[in-house]
Amino acid sequence: MKKFITVLQFELTNYFKNKTYITTTLIIAFIIGIFFTLPRFIDMSDFFGVPMKSLEKEKEEVPEEEYQKFALLDQNGYFKEQTVLKAAFPETKWIIAKNIEEIKSLVEKEDVDCGFVVKSTTELEYYVINKGMMDSNTETFKEVLNTIGRQIYCQKNGLDYESIQKAFNQPVNVKEQVLGKDTMKNYWYCYFLIIIIFMMIIFYSNMIATSITAEKSNRSIEVLVTSVNSNFLIFGKVIAGALAGVVQTGIIICEILVLYKVNREYWNGVLDMFMKIPAESLITFAFFGLGGFLFYAFCYGAVGALVSKTEDLNKSTGGIQMIIMFVYFGVLMQLQNVDGIFIKVASFLPFSSYSAMFARVALGKVEPWEVIVSFLILLISVIGVGILGAKIYRMGTLRYGNPIKISQALKTLRQK
Amino acid sequence: MVFEVKNIRKSFGETEVLHGISFQVESGKALGLLGRNGAGKTTTIRILMDVFRANSGEILMDGKPFDRSKYQIGYLPEERGLYPKKTVIEQMIYLACLRGISKKEASDNSKKWLKRLEVSEYENKKLETLSKGNQQKVQLASTLVCNPEIVILDEPFSGLDPVNSQILKDVVKELIQQGKLVIFSSHQMAYVEDFCENIAVINRGNIVLNGELKEIKKDFGKGRVIISSENYSLEELKQKCESIFSQMVIVKDIKKDYLILELKENYKKNNLLEEVLKTDIELEHFGNYEPSLNDIFVAKAGE
Repeated sequence: MKKFITVLQFELTNYFKNKTYITTTLIIAFIIGIFFTLPRFIDMSDFFGVPMKSLEKEKEEVPEEEYQKFALLDQNGYFKEQTVLKAAFPETKWIIAKNIEEIKSLVEKEDVDCGFVVKSTTELEYYVINKGMMDSNTETFKEVLNTIGRQIYCQKNGLDYESIQKAFNQPVNVKEQVLGKDTMKNYWYCYFLIIIIFMMIIFYSNMIATSITAEKSNRSIEVLVTSVNSNFLIFGKVIAGALAGVVQTGIIICEILVLYKVNREYWNGVLDMFMKIPAESLITFAFFGLGGFLFYAFCYGAVGALVSKTEDLNKSTGGIQMIIMFVYFGVLMQLQNVDGIFIKVASFLPFSSYSAMFARVALGKVEPWEVIVSFLILLISVIGVGILGAKIYRMGTLRYGNPIKISQALKTLRQK
Repeated sequence: MVFEVKNIRKSFGETEVLHGISFQVESGKALGLLGRNGAGKTTTIRILMDVFRANSGEILMDGKPFDRSKYQIGYLPEERGLYPKKTVIEQMIYLACLRGISKKEASDNSKKWLKRLEVSEYENKKLETLSKGNQQKVQLASTLVCNPEIVILDEPFSGLDPVNSQILKDVVKELIQQGKLVIFSSHQMAYVEDFCENIAVINRGNIVLNGELKEIKKDFGKGRVIISSENYSLEELKQKCESIFSQMVIVKDIKKDYLILELKENYKKNNLLEEVLKTDIELEHFGNYEPSLNDIFVAKAGE
């Protein structure tokens, strides 16, 4: 055990002294620091598409010369008074055109941002050079035309538009009491945490594999395996990689939580859906995330031992990477259907339960026995893959040259 | 301690590379494992170190199966390699701790061996910044850092210049004097000859010669004499011997300064001398042949 601790300490120190590790942590921490304090200084409403506190607090009048310019051809004279238009399109200056050619010309010369040709209350033409992803001008204008249409109808039939409007749009007070899970609220943090564990697996497992291959490449492996039990070596490496990953991710998550708490007022609670994570989800994430990470780390460790040059590593880890990607996209795509058969099956398989079971606990219906059974399967698999990884690592010692295929390695192990 | 290897066999796939290797060595003595490239020396050493498992055979220490965990073993592999990005002292302490000694002792021993091998100024330098020879000395220092009872060195002299070879030679002599059990493989016969009491020559996976070097030399030189003449060149002398003394001797070899003759059965050195003196050959050298290890090696491993 003392020797295992020696390996663990050495490997952990390697990570903590590694320039890439330190630089990555500092850069990510710096970017997060800036990002989370940004709303204190600038308005980020456009970035999120929702009003932020800073905007509400310090909203300044936009000067008229900075208004967006829209062109309008009103063939039926609906908009002699622009009250409805101004209400629907604030901070907009309307240029009245005489014909369609003028509208086109104004848009093409970029004298206006866009142009509307209103043919009737049910017929509208929209002119714009490049239509943006968030361009909802036609939708807004359709609402305007509907309102005009209703007003004309009421006028024709002797009805009072205002009273009908009031009667049809009674405010409804809704008080939601979610007794189970609020999928809407849980969806985003679930999505976010699955991405985190996916990134941890890809990043750290690769680092573990590289560190093992490097020992073959620099020929230190022979000294190591003759000095200490190879199980201690691979377990020490993998657990050190896991700890380094947890420490780095922990630092980043703690920074996010603290900065968000401090700046929450400026964020107007926009990110609450990511931050308010129920304890049961967090515990599931911690256990399954760590289990899944160790499972893949041992797989990568074994593959690292089958390769003698670091440049060959990517080729050999391709198969595992495919599985990880498949699980990642599969689970994310099924997040809105967590009680479906795909997620249910995936939540029991050791290579996918780390995200699928977590998704079920966060968003779906799951019995406690299912969580326990799934975790036991994952735990046994981690131990199994660990022992197998150690055997492959020992077998891969001194096997230089072309990368050895996993199937070939397993065959050799069976022969022994 | 008496370390014994008995009838070790090893196959890789269908090919058997060791066909029953046996030798013996005891504390305070060194065994030189000799053989041509690919003869099976490194495979044998790797089996001793449990890097490979033998298909059959026994490894014994004092007559009992050899349990590596009970002994401190200093192993210098043929494939040299440490951590290039780590400082010398850092990796020496790590390797020593892996072999079960305390950090304090590891640090003290590391400094001691770095000083002994004259590389203490590189203690805090990264290994990759050192020359190849100095890296090798660091590797040797980390082999000895755990104060091993058994020292196994695979080609320790390769890559060392004469000065560093002399340092290593002195270190190995000290280890032998301290009563360590030393096994090493080498191509440099002069070093083996200098401090090995026992040798084992491996050829194509077989032990072709094994035992005490003094006895081997004696046996190998038995019935052989050297001769050279002042009035004949070695080639002329060879022809003369082959024509005049063919009943008594066979010309075995022509060296730089003399011929090696092997006496046939029932003939002695004096008989030959008497016959030589009857001829016009003016003797320059005549005497017992004392073979060098190189001669023995070439004769046995070159077969």
